[in-house]
Amino acid sequence: MLQAYKEKHAKAVIQYSIIDFNGIVLESDNVLFSPIETKNIADVHPFFESLIPLLTVENETFTFSCIHLEYNNCKITSDVILQTFNSKKSPLLIIHDLTTHYNNYQTTAQVRNESVIHSQILELKNDYLKEKEEFKNAFIANFSHELRDPLTGIITFSDILEQSGLNHQQLDYLNVLKSSSSFLKDMIDDILDLSKIEVGKLDLVIDPFNLHALLDDLKLNCIVKAKQKGLTFHYNFDEKLPKIVGGDALRLRQVLTNLINNAFKFTNEGSVTFNVSLNQIRAQKASIHFEVIDTGIGIKEEDVDRIFNSFTQVNNEDSYKGAGLGLSISKYLVELTKSKITVDSTYGEGSKFSTNINFRATPSLKLPRQKPASFSNIKKDKKYNILLVEDSEITQLSVLKILASKGQFFLDIVFTPEDVISKITNFDNEFDLVLMDIKLKENSGDEIAQLIRKLPEKQHRRIPIIALTAKVFKEDLKRYKKAGINDVIKKPFNEASLLEKMAMYLK
Amino acid sequence: MKISKKIVLLGHFGVGKSSLIRRFVENTFSEDYKVTIGVHILKKSVEIPEEGKDVSLIIWDLEGNDDITATRLSYLLGTNGFIYVFDVTRPSTYKNLKNDLQFIKDKHKNIPVKVVGNKNDLVTKEFLKQNNDEFGRLTNYYTSAKTGNNVEDLFNTLAIELIK
Ligand SMILES: Nc1nc2c(ncn2[C@@H]2O[C@H](COP(=O)(O)OP(=O)(O)O)[C@@H](O)[C@H]2O)c(=O)[nH]1
Ligand SMILES: [Mg+2]
Repeated sequence: MLQAYKEKHAKAVIQYSIIDFNGIVLESDNVLFSPIETKNIADVHPFFESLIPLLTVENETFTFSCIHLEYNNCKITSDVILQTFNSKKSPLLIIHDLTTHYNNYQTTAQVRNESVIHSQILELKNDYLKEKEEFKNAFIANFSHELRDPLTGIITFSDILEQSGLNHQQLDYLNVLKSSSSFLKDMIDDILDLSKIEVGKLDLVIDPFNLHALLDDLKLNCIVKAKQKGLTFHYNFDEKLPKIVGGDALRLRQVLTNLINNAFKFTNEGSVTFNVSLNQIRAQKASIHFEVIDTGIGIKEEDVDRIFNSFTQVNNEDSYKGAGLGLSISKYLVELTKSKITVDSTYGEGSKFSTNINFRATPSLKLPRQKPASFSNIKKDKKYNILLVEDSEITQLSVLKILASKGQFFLDIVFTPEDVISKITNFDNEFDLVLMDIKLKENSGDEIAQLIRKLPEKQHRRIPIIALTAKVFKEDLKRYKKAGINDVIKKPFNEASLLEKMAMYLK
Repeated sequence: MKISKKIVLLGHFGVGKSSLIRRFVENTFSEDYKVTIGVHILKKSVEIPEEGKDVSLIIWDLEGNDDITATRLSYLLGTNGFIYVFDVTRPSTYKNLKNDLQFIKDKHKNIPVKVVGNKNDLVTKEFLKQNNDEFGRLTNYYTSAKTGNNVEDLFNTLAIELIK
């Protein structure tokens, strides 16, 4: 019985052959490949052909593993041993069939290699997508930037036009122009913010600010808006709110303005409520609760997540335009403070947006001292010399028109570093102020500012420099400060924002 | 007797070594990937009219390995020429190119090595130009086993070199 099993399973797996030094098979048990006697082993398979040069190497054992061989319907994966002796004794060739073993290995290797290659391809794809995404963001940022100069032109000349004695109808038209350009300006700001957010480069700028003043300002805005739309406006500001807190006032205003504007935008009757209360002050941190409640159209439950996604707008009806980017940005800004915006809404009845934000709150917090920034405060009998460094004709013209209308300024315009330096150093008088564009075609304004700050004459070095720029992200502001720039006027600017900032530095 | 020369293909797995050989020997191509384990040995005769000779190329298709030093030494015995293949679309297959070539040259002095960037059907000429520093300067041929581009040329040139 055992013998029968053995015969069945002891399948011959090793072949022994003796070959001469030229490769002719002298003797073989023909267990695997047959018939091969009297043949040259090189003709059995090309593998053996490459063994021929080894046959004359004396007393050597050559072992080859995992060799795929095929001859006369016998296809195997094998280990091959070639044993040579001396010049009198013919070499021995042993072929060990290990097909089953190697097939298992093949399966494992197949899975492993495929998954490695697959992950590498995915990686490449991701790199490619990332590159594309970065390109897109850079493109959006640059492009929005380019829109600023023409927009400045539109805004300043609308202001100038307003004062040129228009009739009622013309004034109405002009107001449409102004509100459109201000809408455009906000959208460009949003797009720029978003492009920063997508590359994780939007940071908060933390400084002490007057929270009461900020809230009062927002309240005033709400009252005006409510009146325009015929809605009721309620507010409740906690008496315990600290007056001076440390935080990013600009971004807080942006978030609250966005929530408030949305509330008004999506409410056609009823009320808008704006409540601010103090949760607690602990460990020099004030946790403050903000909520904006409206009786507007509300949001369906399934849409709540979507309203925070860029470019998504749940209500496609034309009457509710333009809420797309603001909420995404607000969400991100609030997340930067490690908090979040909570939405509570019933479709058809109204919504409540609320958030808790932490601010620094210590009694020692003080507002930076600022000169009263009003153009009416500057000396009326003095003429000021202003140097404008700017290569965009639209902006040149805008500044020129604004300053000319005041009759108190002499304006010089240059745009190369050489001209700036020679103007400053060869001028009979001293300039009272330099207005410096940052993104000049050939140079960067902060570099020119550095040149001015390095001039040998003390009085030249001290001229106040104000940057005119759209780039006012944290990293930009740092760079300007380092270059010796005193302050920044954000593009697009209008008459009021230009003159106010200038007044702060004019003696 | 006819001259026969042993050629060994080296390089990471999946770069197209087996496919290049199949294109050269059988003039076929398959998108399917079957991992090579151990070694397959194929043979093809090349006529070299200029020399009035026929050469049998015995081509060793080795299991791909991302570590060249782990290649089984017995496979390399008596090699007459090397073809080192990388995949132009997969950086991991050429990031050690320089060291790998140095390794081959150190261990096998005076044996010709052809460096091949395969799958050139998947990239543009512009891409290859941009990667001149990465692999371009070291590469002798850009090939495609899929289209057959430069495959014949690669093996024939090596064959001529080997009988000279
Ligand atoms: N597009 C393209 N694919 C190829 C080319 N050469 C090989 N491939 C594919 O790449 C994979 C791996 O090829 P293979 O020859 O097995 O690579 P090896 O591991 O180096 O032997 C297979 O799916 C082939 O179809 C080529 O020139 N172009
Ligand atoms: Mg292979």
